[in-house]
Amino acid sequence: MPTLAEFVKKVSFAEIAKGLQLTFKHMFVKPITNQYPHQKRNLPDGYRGVIVHLRYDDMTEKCVGCALCEAACPSHCITVESAEREDMPQKRYAKRYILDVTKCVFCGFCVQACPVDALASSKEYEMATDNKRNLIMDKEMMLALGDKYFPNRQKRPPYTEDRLAFFNRVKEEGFPTARQDKTPPVQDGKLPVKGAA
Amino acid sequence: MDVTLRLVVILVEIAAVLGVVLLHVAYLTYLERKVLGDMQDRMGPMEVGPHGLLQPIADGLKLFFKEDIIPAGANKIIFSAAPILVLIPALIGFAVVPFGRDSLHIGPVEFKPYITDINVGILYILAFASLGAYGILLGGWASNSKYSLLGGLRSAAQVISYELSLGLALVGPILLSQSLSMVKMTEAQGGGFWKWFIVVQPIAFVIYLICAIAETNRLPFDLPEAESELVAGFFTEYSGMRFAFFFLAEYANMILVSCIATVAFLGGWHAPLPFLEFIPPVVWFIAKVYFFLFFYIWLRATVPRLRFDQLMAFGWKIMLPLALANILITSTVVYLLKH
Repeated sequence: MPTLAEFVKKVSFAEIAKGLQLTFKHMFVKPITNQYPHQKRNLPDGYRGVIVHLRYDDMTEKCVGCALCEAACPSHCITVESAEREDMPQKRYAKRYILDVTKCVFCGFCVQACPVDALASSKEYEMATDNKRNLIMDKEMMLALGDKYFPNRQKRPPYTEDRLAFFNRVKEEGFPTARQDKTPPVQDGKLPVKGAA
Repeated sequence: MDVTLRLVVILVEIAAVLGVVLLHVAYLTYLERKVLGDMQDRMGPMEVGPHGLLQPIADGLKLFFKEDIIPAGANKIIFSAAPILVLIPALIGFAVVPFGRDSLHIGPVEFKPYITDINVGILYILAFASLGAYGILLGGWASNSKYSLLGGLRSAAQVISYELSLGLALVGPILLSQSLSMVKMTEAQGGGFWKWFIVVQPIAFVIYLICAIAETNRLPFDLPEAESELVAGFFTEYSGMRFAFFFLAEYANMILVSCIATVAFLGGWHAPLPFLEFIPPVVWFIAKVYFFLFFYIWLRATVPRLRFDQLMAFGWKIMLPLALANILITSTVVYLLKH
């Protein structure tokens, strides 16, 4: 048997009135809509967009063509064709570097694998196109995107030149013989044991 | 006034009312989308024009240029006739609605604030409103689709159940004003909001409001077009301009029932307080109509759809007895007060 209060509540549509009150209140709540093409989202710093190539501050590209990114890529979307540089025969670079964005899963493993930090995840995500072939990026496109998203470039580390000098010396003089002034490693048919003497 | 001039005046009035009503219908869709959006913390249409103001025009153009498909198994004649059968009754009811108080005089010509004042105004609107149900039923049947047929059948059942209570709820104001004419009914309520029939007929008002929502197939009574069960109900198979006709009819019906509610319960074009009469009567009328329209949209944003057996039980077991009891009490009181 319903009580009088319950009966009055039912007859006066109290619950519907409560609902109407709530919806009316929401008329004055600011909409959460993001008007996308006009108003873009602020992406977080760790956002992983399209992979781009970076340059050093002297505008030389960082990539050394080691193809570790190709090995690390889980979806096999990176193809690296490495070659020696004409001017510096000891140094290598990526003669062709192809990133297939249609296959890329934006995992960022290539960025982690890169030994010289030549790759980076940009915040580029508006890649929609009417031609699939536009999504197969070569190194020039990736470098251009890198220039757009990473204008602050790393200084070219000096050790690179040192090593170049070292290699040039090796080329001219042959390999240096090690430890000429020290005792030879093998003495009386025994290997020297540290702390034995 | 000679006959030609009178004919011209009537035609001009019909064109004006039709144009204004259709414009309001178009922008009612915009209002609904905006208000629904606001209530759901969205924005609604924003792209076409400033704040999406040209959206109804874009929608109309789109529907006009769309391909008009008649399904292979459909009955072509009835399929084509159904949208017209729905739209005409919805628009024809506006002929007797008094929009304002004063006539407009241009030279010898007098433009009345209504197209015509017939002495059975409310009966005329109710009769044509029932005709609209045929259009829905026939459209649902002629489409040769199970969703359409189910939608049409539901609509027929719903309209019959709720039209009874709707008509009976309007008997209260008719008894009080002693007239079926919309103009006389409005005039009977002049002098302040305490003279409005909503004060003496609150139950009839609530019954009318609920039945009017059911009549126009709006949420929470939109079972004929329940999109989650029946795709789009009776107009599932319609496209292009025929679909637009159904759409227009639905919104025109919304405005029509709001107009009747305004005339019968909220005093038509009368101002709520005597000192507010400097505001033109037309403004009061439109404001009251839009209050109802806003309430419909508000309700749509709030309440979920009823189950079909709930709908039927509510209509027959609660609304109809209440409406009958209301008539009994009202007529007794009116009789006793007169003698």
